[in-house]
Amino acid sequence: MEIETLLATLGEACPDYAFEARTIPVDETVIEIPAACLEDVVNVLRTTFSAYHLSTITGQDRGTELELLYHFWHERGITLRVALPREGARVRTLTETIPGADFYEREVGEMLGVTFEGHPGPEHLLLPEDWESEPPLRKAQQAEEGDP
Amino acid sequence: MTRVTIPVGPQHPLLKEPLSVRLTAEGERVLEAAMRLGYVHRGIERLVQERTYVQNLHLLERVCGICSHVHTTTYCQGVEALLELDVPPRGLALRTLMCELERIHSHLLWLGVLAENIGFSTIFMYSWRDREMALDIMEGLSGGRIAHAVNTIGGVRVDLDRGEMYAARRLLNELEKHVHDLLDVVEHESTLKVRTQGVGGASLEQVRRHCAVGPLARAAGLDRDLRRDAPYAAYDRLSFEVVTETGGDVWAATRVRVLEVFESLSLCRQILDDLPSGEIATRAPRRVPEGEVVSRAEAPRGEVVYYLRSDGSDKPARIKIRTPTLPALSLVREQLRDINIADVPAVISGIDLCIACADR
Repeated sequence: MEIETLLATLGEACPDYAFEARTIPVDETVIEIPAACLEDVVNVLRTTFSAYHLSTITGQDRGTELELLYHFWHERGITLRVALPREGARVRTLTETIPGADFYEREVGEMLGVTFEGHPGPEHLLLPEDWESEPPLRKAQQAEEGDP
Repeated sequence: MTRVTIPVGPQHPLLKEPLSVRLTAEGERVLEAAMRLGYVHRGIERLVQERTYVQNLHLLERVCGICSHVHTTTYCQGVEALLELDVPPRGLALRTLMCELERIHSHLLWLGVLAENIGFSTIFMYSWRDREMALDIMEGLSGGRIAHAVNTIGGVRVDLDRGEMYAARRLLNELEKHVHDLLDVVEHESTLKVRTQGVGGASLEQVRRHCAVGPLARAAGLDRDLRRDAPYAAYDRLSFEVVTETGGDVWAATRVRVLEVFESLSLCRQILDDLPSGEIATRAPRRVPEGEVVSRAEAPRGEVVYYLRSDGSDKPARIKIRTPTLPALSLVREQLRDINIADVPAVISGIDLCIACADR
């Protein structure tokens, strides 16, 4: 898959946004996308480029914003980066098109407090059902409860 | 007919680790399976942020009790990429040797678990006896049967001398004879065939939808193996076949795993026959420059993914671990649909569960 062709096709799917790619080791292409475009971009990846395999979703707190990284694989690694605000972080679920995203989204949801809109069963995956504290991978939480 | 809910786990003889599967059945037919994870969640992704890169080697080796070496391999690869370190060829070869020994041990362990769960204890005894040979080689090399502590950032910690290489070759030859016998049983023994053929079949489409990886995906015909598709460590210097089957049932998964043992035995021999000379490790600095990396490797159960971000200090800012069991658990919910209750043990064993991996 040529990255230039991919970027051009993505530009047609979401004409309001200029897509740019950068490379991180080990040979992984990272493309920043707006949260609103996520579904369209994933559809292009799946239908036009046969990139069916979603390896996982990484969620991390970057201080000023939350960051979701959708790691796809087809002949090479392609990571889609979506930035979300820390308050009221919401993004459309991928579970309808990729059922394998179910567990990944539930984990990111409980660990970082991100809501996946339209998720068929957004209950906790790893944390106890009665977990009421802040999401454990948020930065403020780590400062308060850091190991001695 | 009345519907009943049958809980399997969190503590159940079928499962070696805690996992809760709730089956909804109508008579003997399973209609639906729901899953609850997290019973062995240790918060490793959070713990690694409190420890230095070297301390994390020991923590990450304990993500999984079976494929411990591949976790440190994937982690070291990521850190080495950020440090732009060149690992000496001998270090890469020894790292690969351990990866393949681990695959042999994991597949033979799995065959024993499957056999036991379908009531075929003879194969359980034989395959676990044979697995000891792979463990003996690993113990000879590293001093540890399960947690080897072989990997370090920049290479490996232990070297092989001529005597150890001779002992390893002798055990590999002996093991190969035994695995031929096991393959013979898998291909011809009716007890095993009746319990596994056509049971829990997953289509290529289902495997794709659930993003399943490893032998489970290859059993359904998905021709993907990171050792060939994105060679890491010393795999670009070695030759091997990627084993695929069709049907995606438990029998196909069994054949894939047993045939992969032969490929791994051949890979081990290739490494021992052509072991590069020289250093086994490069010295690595304590601090890792700012940056991020996605590191992938083919564990015995399939693709392992590590995302690692460094903020320039001696502790990682974020490590995300995705183990192959998580997508397998997603797929098994479909495999368990519309099967007989008596086939549940075979289907659940067929995916080669590692709950500690999935929970982290």
